[in-house]
Amino acid sequence: MSRETVLDPFDEAFHRTADRHERVWVLLCVLMLTLLMIGTMFFVVHDYGVVTRSEAYNNEQIPAETRRAFQEGAVVRTGPNAYSVYITGRLWNWAPGTIHVRQGAAITFHVTSADVLHGFEVQGTPVNLTAVPGMVGTVTHTFQRAGVFFIICNEFCGLEHQAMVGRIVVDPQEAQS
Amino acid sequence: MSAVGFADLSHDEASASVGSTWAAARRLMLAFLVTGFSALMIGASIGPLQALNYAGIDLYPFLEPALKTYYQGLTIHGVLNAYVFTFFVTAGLLVYLPAREMDVPIPLGLWGACYGTMAVGTLMLLVAMFDNSATVLWTFYPPLKGSAFFYVGMTLLAFGSVLPLPVLLVMRRRWRTLHPGMITPLVTYMSVITMLMWGVCSLGVGLELLVQLVPWSLGWIDAVNPMIARTLFWLTGHPIVYFWLMPAYVSWYGLLPRQAGGKLASDTMARITFVMLFVFSLPVGSHHQFADPGFSPIWRGILTALTMSVALPSLITAFTIGLSLEYAGRRRGGRGIFGWFTALPWGNPAVAAQVLAAITFIVGGSTGLVNGSWQLDSIVHNTTYLPGHFHLTVGSVTALTFMSLAFWMVPHLSGKALVSRRLALASVWLWFVGISLFAVGMLWSGLHGVPRRAWVSSLPAPVYDALYGNAQLPLAVVGLGGAVLWLALLCFYSLFFASLVFGAKTEEGREIGFAEVLGAYAGSAAPNRVAGALDHIWIMTWLVALATVAAYVPILWPFLQHANLSTGWRVW
Ligand code: HEM
Ligand SMILES: [Cu+2]
Ligand SMILES: [Cu+2]
Repeated sequence: MSRETVLDPFDEAFHRTADRHERVWVLLCVLMLTLLMIGTMFFVVHDYGVVTRSEAYNNEQIPAETRRAFQEGAVVRTGPNAYSVYITGRLWNWAPGTIHVRQGAAITFHVTSADVLHGFEVQGTPVNLTAVPGMVGTVTHTFQRAGVFFIICNEFCGLEHQAMVGRIVVDPQEAQS
Repeated sequence: MSAVGFADLSHDEASASVGSTWAAARRLMLAFLVTGFSALMIGASIGPLQALNYAGIDLYPFLEPALKTYYQGLTIHGVLNAYVFTFFVTAGLLVYLPAREMDVPIPLGLWGACYGTMAVGTLMLLVAMFDNSATVLWTFYPPLKGSAFFYVGMTLLAFGSVLPLPVLLVMRRRWRTLHPGMITPLVTYMSVITMLMWGVCSLGVGLELLVQLVPWSLGWIDAVNPMIARTLFWLTGHPIVYFWLMPAYVSWYGLLPRQAGGKLASDTMARITFVMLFVFSLPVGSHHQFADPGFSPIWRGILTALTMSVALPSLITAFTIGLSLEYAGRRRGGRGIFGWFTALPWGNPAVAAQVLAAITFIVGGSTGLVNGSWQLDSIVHNTTYLPGHFHLTVGSVTALTFMSLAFWMVPHLSGKALVSRRLALASVWLWFVGISLFAVGMLWSGLHGVPRRAWVSSLPAPVYDALYGNAQLPLAVVGLGGAVLWLALLCFYSLFFASLVFGAKTEEGREIGFAEVLGAYAGSAAPNRVAGALDHIWIMTWLVALATVAAYVPILWPFLQHANLSTGWRVW
């Protein structure tokens, strides 16, 4: 159904430049997105640690000693300068509520929930993990700065959700023996 | 001059029987519009309370018994704004505009059933939300367990929202028999693609509701798997953002160029954009689950990559719409680099609303690239950054564009003129200023780790200060933006309802000004070929459905291996 229409000179000129610019624009966009994509992929590979990983899919798979560690809210030394911390979210607190870790040590958080979904956010860090009942997620982070960091629940969990706050105390390096 | 072959079909209402069908169609369209905007009125007026909450001001104790808690209000805000408002306006718009464009009658029974199903669903949702039996937020993640009214209502609402698809297909088939060999006209094409996208992607939440949540809430099953529910939810929950966006794009491509005094720069680009949105948006939903355990890292990487490609159609839209506006501005005598911009008809509230919406989308879209990347998302996940981002998309692109629709549709459908053009302009500008302040404050405080969905103002002052004291300035800006938005709502709704009730009778605006295309069929045959190829909508739909299955089987498979079930909790 191509119908010949005659464009007036203004339309003609506008249309011609528009077509050219359009091709350039699309090319630039594709280029930019490709770069962005490569950038994020590079970070994923390069700095894998901060990303949520899963340790166990569900209850059956969680080994007995992990369960015990969760019950005790244990902090377990796993290497010369590496620790595992076991944290459970429940209505409406984090257990344990205060955790001491060392500045400069690699801390692996193992997080689960005893009831509904909770969100494990350590304020001021990229640590962000959904606490799902029956599942364990892990994320590793090294605190470079001493001080108090708040664990803030960032997944809605009911009436006292806003008050579900825990503390991570990062003890300064020189205090360590 | 008529550049588009099909745009010169006459919208002839002269003959009596045709006229009366159109009158019925207009009444039903008006019902969709008024119902949608009424939902937004309730939902959005709660918004500023939430903004003030973040600024540390807790007004909720004064609101009992209407709202018992912040979270009850937030559930109402999310459900009414994000679902009810957008679904009603869209289900009206994407049937009515194509019908006028193709000049074929609407199967009114089916379209009416669409309205009825959604209305019953909405009533059930309102009951469940206002009696506080389903304070589960608009994402209703189990194991939080609301009353059956909520889930059944949600099912009806979702089912109704897909019914415009068969309505459109019936109309398109009729048109094709009348115009053999012709390519589907643009607005119809965009509407069909939008509804096909929604039809395929709503299967996720449909499964979640029918297999898991409805039987669970009725007591037929005891427990559900929360991760499967969450994954199915986001199968729909990601593409739903395109279901909010695409109807706005229909207006930007199909109407705005003409309203601004110009022409659409490219018909083919509009089609390509919609097809890309359809293809790219579906399989990437689980990027909302970057923080969840149980996902293979490789899949996450692929999803990140796909998420980036979704930005392409929006970038093309920015170009094509920008160009069309430039054309309009220059036609109106604008000179120089920015002269065309100021030369646009800013006195026309429908134009002002859409151009301002497009401006907010530049920021809204770029902030979306942040949450779309896995690494960066870790920093902002579930902070106020996210609501900051999507109030610039659905909260302004969609809201402002739908307001622009109301400005011409109220006179067009009801025959009543707007009572005040100035009030319309005021509502649009106030919305623009308010939502910009609000969003900047939310984005910025999100970087301080302020969580979303938190009744922070109910915390004791020392706790609030210890946690969020360093975000005091951005949080105050959030509150300020909320207050401005209240004024915007006041202006808009006085105008909307006053015009419907007291508006002077007018015969103006009976025609719908569909945009002409610049140089559409002049010389080159290429646009037609592309458009013709893109007209094979079914092949495309099957491919997309297949890709979605391919993306989700590996994700769901491990979850299905083990019965990780949770019973329900009612803890609000
Ligand atoms: C009057 C203007 C508005 C204001 C002041 C406002 C304010 C807010 C605030 C502060 C939040 C975050 C609450 C929280 O995370 O605790 C929020 C959430 C939300 N808003 Fe708005 N909003 C407005 C309009 C809209 C519009 C027009 C839409 C959509 C059409 C919308 C959709 C949503 C959605 C979907 C959420 C997420 C709810 C949730 O997290 O469960 N809002 N709004
Ligand atoms: Cu919580
Ligand atoms: Cu998404």
